[in-house]
Amino acid sequence: MNATNDPLLDVSGLQKRYTSSGTLAIDNVTLDVRKCEFVSIVGPSGCGKTTLLKTICGLLHPTGGSVMLDGRLVTAPPPEMVLVFQDYGRSLFPWLTVEGNVAFPLKKKRLGPEKKRAAIDEALRAVNLERFAKHYPWQLSGGMQQRVAIARAIAFSPDILLLDEPFASVDALTRAELEDLTLKLRDTLGITMLLVTHDIDEAVYLSDRVFVLSPPPSVVVRGFDIPLGRERDQEGTRSDPRFLELRNEIHHLIGRPRTDLPQPAAAR
Amino acid sequence: MRNASLPAKRLYWGTPLQRNLLGIAVVLLALVAWELVARAKSSIYIPPVSTIATTFVHEWFSPQFREHAIPSLMRMLAGYAIASLLGVALGVLIGAYRPLFRLLDPFLQFLRAIPPSAIIPVGILLIGIGDAMKIVVIAFGALWPILVNAADGARNVPRERLDTARIFGVGKTDQLLSVTFPSALPGIFAGLRTGLSIAFIMIVVSEMIGSTNGLGYYILQSQRSFAIPEMYGGIVLLAILGYTLNAAFLAVEHRVLAWHHGQSARPV
Repeated sequence: MNATNDPLLDVSGLQKRYTSSGTLAIDNVTLDVRKCEFVSIVGPSGCGKTTLLKTICGLLHPTGGSVMLDGRLVTAPPPEMVLVFQDYGRSLFPWLTVEGNVAFPLKKKRLGPEKKRAAIDEALRAVNLERFAKHYPWQLSGGMQQRVAIARAIAFSPDILLLDEPFASVDALTRAELEDLTLKLRDTLGITMLLVTHDIDEAVYLSDRVFVLSPPPSVVVRGFDIPLGRERDQEGTRSDPRFLELRNEIHHLIGRPRTDLPQPAAAR
Repeated sequence: MRNASLPAKRLYWGTPLQRNLLGIAVVLLALVAWELVARAKSSIYIPPVSTIATTFVHEWFSPQFREHAIPSLMRMLAGYAIASLLGVALGVLIGAYRPLFRLLDPFLQFLRAIPPSAIIPVGILLIGIGDAMKIVVIAFGALWPILVNAADGARNVPRERLDTARIFGVGKTDQLLSVTFPSALPGIFAGLRTGLSIAFIMIVVSEMIGSTNGLGYYILQSQRSFAIPEMYGGIVLLAILGYTLNAAFLAVEHRVLAWHHGQSARPV
């Protein structure tokens, strides 16, 4: 599957001011995501990335600009778009098993029992958790729990996944594993990905394009094409001179020294 | 995970069986001490345990049980059931809607501060001294802890959990049942437990004022007619019933909240 030129998601002049505090979180964000593309948004910590994703997916109402998904204006969470939160501990339902969590979004889908079963199995297989269907999320490791959240999202069969720093709360090895899993899901299921992260390396490694966000009130500082091809691998891609060059350029733009470890994002 | 619980184990002595035997030994020791003191003093106000035990068997393994214990239990269960249903339903609603919570919280805290026994005169005035008054008084006493705890639980559902439900197209009413209610269950059970002990207190108090049967009536009546071993026997029966109800409650809680206990046992 190749990226085509039709924009699936079209965000233009998006602005979000919180009515209660009057804070302008997002000033003016314009970006587009094409079908089957992997796009990342990077920016310094606290630059309103979560607010941006919540506004894009219709959980928050923008105070200016618009979000179009496949040509339709987004005013409430549309069924073609799912947001995966960073904190799986808070977004998963601890009283449901892994299987129950994955079945949750299917409730509204009016599927027969067999189709439902098939959808659950397929989603669990896609994230390699079929053996853990009867476990509870809290019995699994952090990386596995985030895979449950991803399985739950893809069971809903969306066209696009919005990922809010989904790998920030896991260790480095698990992180690499989850990164490659998302790339695989984009390719095998044809799901478009929009990732928000503060990890520039991660953004460059995963993406076809990267948008750099300013500190709040956020605007898009610049967009980068990442011409590293479709196939990425943790060692090869990350040592590619073009990868290093792009990474350094973005670091320079954001204006802080390269740090190997991501910021602890749990404290929010 | 296993290691994390190791230091705590030092607090206990011996095997579980040894600990249980020790617990029973303490009870037996206390009974023997009572027996000895009572025999030494030979006061009719402190009959020996053996006398109380004989009276107890004679009094309660008889139709008396149906005459006094069953009405008490029925009133208590009726009042408790009303308090549970109302408390959980209203509590979850109030907790889920922030404006409602802000509006009602001071009022609820005020009502909750009233010692439930203080409303017995009001109950007698408005409803008379029949079963209805006792049920209402029990329900009134047990309602507030249940309601306030349910509201607290419903108010503190992680934002991400509700957002996730919204993203999957689950409407407000459905969210209440499928996300807010289960999330609030730990709080609800804390309230139900407090409510149960208050209901138990209220049944005795309400039966001591204006009643012709029930355990409260029986205990007071025995005291007034100098049937001292009977009076103690009634108290022992209350203790046994209270202990049994609490054990049954814990068994239910253990089943329903297995996920919660499992989750809290792990360091996150």
